[in-house]
Amino acid sequence: MSKAHPGAAAGFSRRRFLQTATLAGAGALLARNGGLARAAETVTLPFANGRRELVRFPQKRPLILLTARPPQLETPFAVFNEGLLTPNDAFFVRYHLAHIPTEIDPQTFRLQIRGQVNHPLTLSLTDLRTQFEPVEIVAVNQCSGNSRGFFQPRVGGGQLGNGAMGNARWKGVRLQAVLAKAGIAAGARQVVFNGLDQSVLEKTPDFLKALDVDQARDEDVLLAYEMNGADLPMLNGYPLRLVVPGHYGTYWVKHLHQITVVDETFKTFWMNPAYLIPDNDGACVPPGTTPTRTRPIGRFNVRSFITSLAEADVVRTGHPITVRGIAFDGGHGIQEILFSEDDGHSWRAAELGKDLGKYSFREWTIPFTPRRTGAFALRVKATNRIGESQPLEPLWNPAGYMRNVVETVHIQAA
Amino acid sequence: MMRLLLFAVAILIGVFLAGGVDQRATPLKIDLPPETTAFKPAPGAELVNGQCLVCHSVEYVSSQPPMPRPFWSAAVKKMVDKYGANVPPDQIDPIVDYLYHNYGDAPPPTTAPAAPAPAAPSTDPVQLGTKYGCLACHNPTMKIIGPALREVARKYQADPEAAQKIAHQIRHGGSGQWGSIIMPPFPQISDGEIQTLTDWILRQK
Repeated sequence: MSKAHPGAAAGFSRRRFLQTATLAGAGALLARNGGLARAAETVTLPFANGRRELVRFPQKRPLILLTARPPQLETPFAVFNEGLLTPNDAFFVRYHLAHIPTEIDPQTFRLQIRGQVNHPLTLSLTDLRTQFEPVEIVAVNQCSGNSRGFFQPRVGGGQLGNGAMGNARWKGVRLQAVLAKAGIAAGARQVVFNGLDQSVLEKTPDFLKALDVDQARDEDVLLAYEMNGADLPMLNGYPLRLVVPGHYGTYWVKHLHQITVVDETFKTFWMNPAYLIPDNDGACVPPGTTPTRTRPIGRFNVRSFITSLAEADVVRTGHPITVRGIAFDGGHGIQEILFSEDDGHSWRAAELGKDLGKYSFREWTIPFTPRRTGAFALRVKATNRIGESQPLEPLWNPAGYMRNVVETVHIQAA
Repeated sequence: MMRLLLFAVAILIGVFLAGGVDQRATPLKIDLPPETTAFKPAPGAELVNGQCLVCHSVEYVSSQPPMPRPFWSAAVKKMVDKYGANVPPDQIDPIVDYLYHNYGDAPPPTTAPAAPAPAAPSTDPVQLGTKYGCLACHNPTMKIIGPALREVARKYQADPEAAQKIAHQIRHGGSGQWGSIIMPPFPQISDGEIQTLTDWILRQK
């Protein structure tokens, strides 16, 4: 099959991976439940027990269902070949606690700023839109556990493929400006963020996240009320979420309604012991071992992907094609993309596409002509502006965070 | 004429602006789709249905890789120690057994794993409420996660079909009529046990 047009490749591989299957595990119960047993479209992620349903949630196209309650939805990978901005209806969803808001009135919604501040504030959405300068920034959001399903040995947690990431144009106001209006008191150490999502059991820790005051004052940290020119979808944090560009999604608190400035290092389950990584350069330990020192997860490491070709695609021998993909890092910006058509024996530089900002997906393209028939292992490796790159072999940690191995796509030329 | 035209234009602009504001001011409400995966029917399923489903759907378990028993044991311990799951100590091992044998790397069981099912069906509603996890979400007099049982009794006090409706709710799960947390279905509870529970609920005052 010819692959002259990259878009065609994505459509083809997506269709091939989709299959129709009945919900075997659900059989007896759902049949009794009045005809809920039905054929569902599924995808199979390439690791053990990787079959997933595609389910349509409110304001979303059918996405890969990781869990129904609370909702965790993964973006089908073919979406990343459709454009540099991930559409709102395809953007991944990740909650921790099941008591999520399903109805929010923007007229009565209020954001509170309190704690160690000189002037506690209560702001409506109109206040935010009218009293502060609107700011737009294109930034990737990525789940700490994106790609966890590929860890070897396997680890517990959300068994994600590579689709728990997305790139959007976020619009909102600077957290810095709101904090300045409230006036941070002397001696303040951290800023704590709380959203409207709650736990089911009283004893389950509420989902709170904290940033150091200096980090909270970074001019790129936003309180966002729009993504890609529209209100945030409910499942992505309507009507307001924290945007911490270059940092893992765990900090991007959804339905943000409470900001508390504290004069201590805030102690919460969700900062410690959850979301800790080994305290070393690669955030890694020998597979199967436990780190001796840890720190809270922070910035993204460097990643790059081929998006125009999928595993096991077939291309025509001697026919030139353009291979396309994306790369991103924790906010320094992508400097160089290297591409290999021989499993990493030789590399050539790809051409970088339009620069939407240092926190955005960066497109890359490279011409490729398979000059013989048979198997090709295509690899892509990015380096950012401070020289950070990707490992050729995967690094491991017990929580399954921060995977960033040089990716390989195996194709056939015929 | 010119004035009239300006007036019309002003109204149109007004409508446009109001429309813009109104769009933003409308409450956003979503309805989540029904859960589609159930725990595998096997000995111990009544325990995981009663405990695990209080806080999360089945895929939290069913999407995990096939793992050895210590993995499942650590997971249950984490649910109790870190997330405050209200699992009676004597249910922990049977729950780990169920998870390991149905979702772990265990060879298929030749004999059914032991479950702490009482020899005779219990007729004590409080014992049943604990066994199936009802009391994790429902208190007789106070709203916790689900409505107080007293409120349920009050709602149905004049309804001749109260018993059938409550029994249906227990068996098939909730519709969200009491709030945003939807009650999971409990298909494993026997007809006799459901009747015991229903009678007890309707007696609450």
